[in-house]
Amino acid sequence: MLALVAPSVLFIALFFVAPLGLFLFRSIDNSEVPGWLPRTTAALAGWSGEGLPDEPAFRAVAEDLAALSGSTALPLLGRRLNHNIPGFRGLITGTGSRVDLSRPGRMREQLIALDARWGEPLYWQTIRRERHVVTPFYLLSALDLRYGASGAIERAPAESAIFLGLLGRTLAISLIVTGLCVLLGFPLAITMAGASPARANALLILVLIPFWTSLLVRSTAWVILLQNSGVVNQLLVGFGLVQKPIPLIFNRVGLYIAMVHVLLPFMVLPLYSVLKNIPPELMRAAASLGAPPATAFLRVYVPQALPGLVAGASLVFVLALGYYVTPALVGGPGDQMIGYFIAYFTNTAVNWGMASALGTLLLLVVALIYLALGRVVGLNRLAVR
Amino acid sequence: MALPPHATVLERTAHVGVRALSVLVLGYLVLPILVVLPLSFTSGELLVYPLPAWSLRWYREFTTAPIWTRSLWNSVVLAVVTTAVATTVGMLAALGLQSLRSRLKPVLYGVLALPLIIPHVMVAVALFYYYARLGLVGSFSGLVMAHTVLALPFVVITIAATLQGFDANLPRAAASLGASPLQAFRLVTLPLILPGVLSGAVFAFVTSFDELLVILFVGSPEQRTLPRQIWSGVSETMSPAVVAAAVVLIGVSLLLMAVVELLRRRGERLRGVTRP
Amino acid sequence: MPNTSRFWIVLAAALALGALAPPDAGAQTKLVVGNAGGSSADAERKVFYGPFANANKITIQEESFNQELAKIRSQVETGNLIWDMVSTTAINVATGCEEGLLEKVDWSKYFDPKVFRDVGGVSECGVPYLFVSGGLAYDGNRIKEGPKSWADFWNVTKWPGKRGLLYRAEQTFEVALMADGVPPAKAMEVLAAPGGPDRALKKLDELKPLIHWWKNGAESINLLASGEVAMAYAWNGRVASANKTNNLNLKMELGAGHVSGCQYWAIMKGSKNKELAIKFIQYAVTAQNQADFVRVISYGPANRDAYALLTDQEKATLPGQHLDKASLQLGKLYLGFWLANGDSLLQRFVKFAAQ
Repeated sequence: MLALVAPSVLFIALFFVAPLGLFLFRSIDNSEVPGWLPRTTAALAGWSGEGLPDEPAFRAVAEDLAALSGSTALPLLGRRLNHNIPGFRGLITGTGSRVDLSRPGRMREQLIALDARWGEPLYWQTIRRERHVVTPFYLLSALDLRYGASGAIERAPAESAIFLGLLGRTLAISLIVTGLCVLLGFPLAITMAGASPARANALLILVLIPFWTSLLVRSTAWVILLQNSGVVNQLLVGFGLVQKPIPLIFNRVGLYIAMVHVLLPFMVLPLYSVLKNIPPELMRAAASLGAPPATAFLRVYVPQALPGLVAGASLVFVLALGYYVTPALVGGPGDQMIGYFIAYFTNTAVNWGMASALGTLLLLVVALIYLALGRVVGLNRLAVR
Repeated sequence: MALPPHATVLERTAHVGVRALSVLVLGYLVLPILVVLPLSFTSGELLVYPLPAWSLRWYREFTTAPIWTRSLWNSVVLAVVTTAVATTVGMLAALGLQSLRSRLKPVLYGVLALPLIIPHVMVAVALFYYYARLGLVGSFSGLVMAHTVLALPFVVITIAATLQGFDANLPRAAASLGASPLQAFRLVTLPLILPGVLSGAVFAFVTSFDELLVILFVGSPEQRTLPRQIWSGVSETMSPAVVAAAVVLIGVSLLLMAVVELLRRRGERLRGVTRP
Repeated sequence: MPNTSRFWIVLAAALALGALAPPDAGAQTKLVVGNAGGSSADAERKVFYGPFANANKITIQEESFNQELAKIRSQVETGNLIWDMVSTTAINVATGCEEGLLEKVDWSKYFDPKVFRDVGGVSECGVPYLFVSGGLAYDGNRIKEGPKSWADFWNVTKWPGKRGLLYRAEQTFEVALMADGVPPAKAMEVLAAPGGPDRALKKLDELKPLIHWWKNGAESINLLASGEVAMAYAWNGRVASANKTNNLNLKMELGAGHVSGCQYWAIMKGSKNKELAIKFIQYAVTAQNQADFVRVISYGPANRDAYALLTDQEKATLPGQHLDKASLQLGKLYLGFWLANGDSLLQRFVKFAAQ
């Protein structure tokens, strides 16, 4: 029987787990530096890190860069090191194309004459720090941390520390969207659960319509509706509620409207399936025992509904965290979430280490949520019993 | 849930309030889609009401412009192949898992459900790196594999749910009457779980047909699908042709949803579940 | 009831289907061009792709390319080329050329490179075909006495209202420096010197509460047309075509200083249609075709001989008269600076905008 499951497990292993694993590995993958600067990294292994290294290190880097000259590896190495220090790219490509190994005299003087930056310890310290096949650089950057001049881990300068804020923004947006989905979805699910079977069926179909409509189409619909000349503004102005069209798109408000719309069915459907199974007798029993309606609701109904609420809310939250399409279409520049930056670092900046580090961060948060949820729901089920 | 005659004013207000809110929320869910659809019938070029006149010009463009017809064709072909692969593999998995007794079962279920919980954009980006290394970027089979992986959880969950109501004694009875395992499957199991299998197939089809991000990162121009084309169209001057394409997408999805619903009812009938 | 063997036949047939060509596939040679889509692609199609394809009996297939360097890289590195050429920016031409992603061509064999001298000349890997200028724009119907300088743009007492700026460090930093009194031609120099970005950010901070960031060209026009902003940084072609199609009265003050640069044609390394691509580029940069292109798209031509073929009205929103007031997006200084600092400055910019 296990053999029947094998093909699907193989599929998932080959086309899901392997790509993801490789992707996550990229967040620490540093094969470029030791691969393209073998002599330099060897020479710097024994260096203390203070001041400048000795002549053998200068000769080593000259030889390494000369070997790369003319190939595409030189600018790619430059690109890689440029992430650590802006400007490193020019240093690498400039030196590689101009260094002359046959010239007599110390390489140290020649290199510093070529580019004064070879006389600055920071560049040497960076190569030394990045000499291993794996590096914490990208992960640290994703947490707005870096190695300071002294060699200790410190905060990145406040002026360019954006990633923790980005994570915070992503979490905040997801939380608010989840909260709104709970507020709007709960009453709807209650009504559906209490309706007659025929009516409940009709309501279910109405909820399934947006659920089955693709995410892209729904986001597109909101782009059309929320424009200045769109239907929503036309109605608002037409009914005299506002003087002129209010900006509803490319900002946070539009993003919430669209995201809640897209995610609401994911809240309603699991919640409805749980609420459907709550026996109505329970509420009547509570009333017969003297409970006022509010108390009955809070202390009898809600605890029964909680697994559904938690399932729906966690699903909505995790989905919201990873959203890319809706914020990209409906949100403004300041509303982009982590998914956008993963795509940006992949496509435009071609900084795959950073893209992967952000992805790792996101996955970690998702995993933590599921673990925490497992405990909460587990505990909860015990309480109900 | 009718209100008892002794309900207080507070209870009545709450009851009415909840219902009113539900109506509003339902409107919020359904109206935006419905309101946007008529715009595809505009004779003008802008997506604003009131429509200057009704016209089918954008649907004509959709059915004649190569950029749309090719996208539609690509979407259909990709979805059909994905469905075939995903349904077969997923059905086998569901059957295998159902009769499994080992402790591996929840683990395997978890592994099979992974694609559901990992953010979609990460899966797409990861596949891009992976395929780039393997030279599979822009290959049709690469896309099929990717879509299959995304569709598998839906197929497995749907068929597994159907199997729950399936009486495992029936194929055993067939075996006792001399049927080989393959015959027992073909003649006894499959007809009974067919509604579930077809539902799973529909889910797989919709997953592939609606999918955007993997195509965006991994697809080549030859494989441009309908969602991909709509995505390009949404960025700037959105022509009503994009809305017409969206309407087609909605139509296909809703049609398939109706099919699933009918299958579900048929399945319940076959298994002897009475409908209230 | 599905027969198992029939099932496998159907599956095999479906897989075979996937290998079949779609209904309208042709047998002609195909040149695949990556461009940004939208109105600029429409103009390119009308003036370049269409006529060239007809004259040479080939098909030109357009693909979406929004300056995602990774797409070029993944194709070239895996040898799996889908595109033949792309329309791209100066920075990507420089990066792509250096990293071996674009074909190096001796352009002097095909046309006289001197006609591109005003816009920075041709590069080994790219030929300019379009000269885009970003400058000060405002609605002539709402503001009668228009601003004359970027310092005026910052003057919110005399011209109250919000300001639209591009959500990018590049171009916006140059504008901020121009507002701080730096002559446009020197803006890049000042930016590249130590303390340049700090000065630009400090100036932007003065305007911060009133800045409305825009990310795509259509947005910038909408902001101006709806009155959401009083003035905006916008690209001249967008302004001109918005005036034409929607009958607006948006004005541009290019004399205040503008940030201008070219869009280039570049050929992917290893393209099998390299000769055909070169022929296409030759076609696209003749003075006549450049002039025709300008008429449709309202951006400036790269070929300076095209100016002679344009009327005064057509030249109105072009920076031809104000080339001395340009901060040019080209040259060693520009490329070196943004190649080195693009990513880190983007982070600083995003942080600044988010506060």
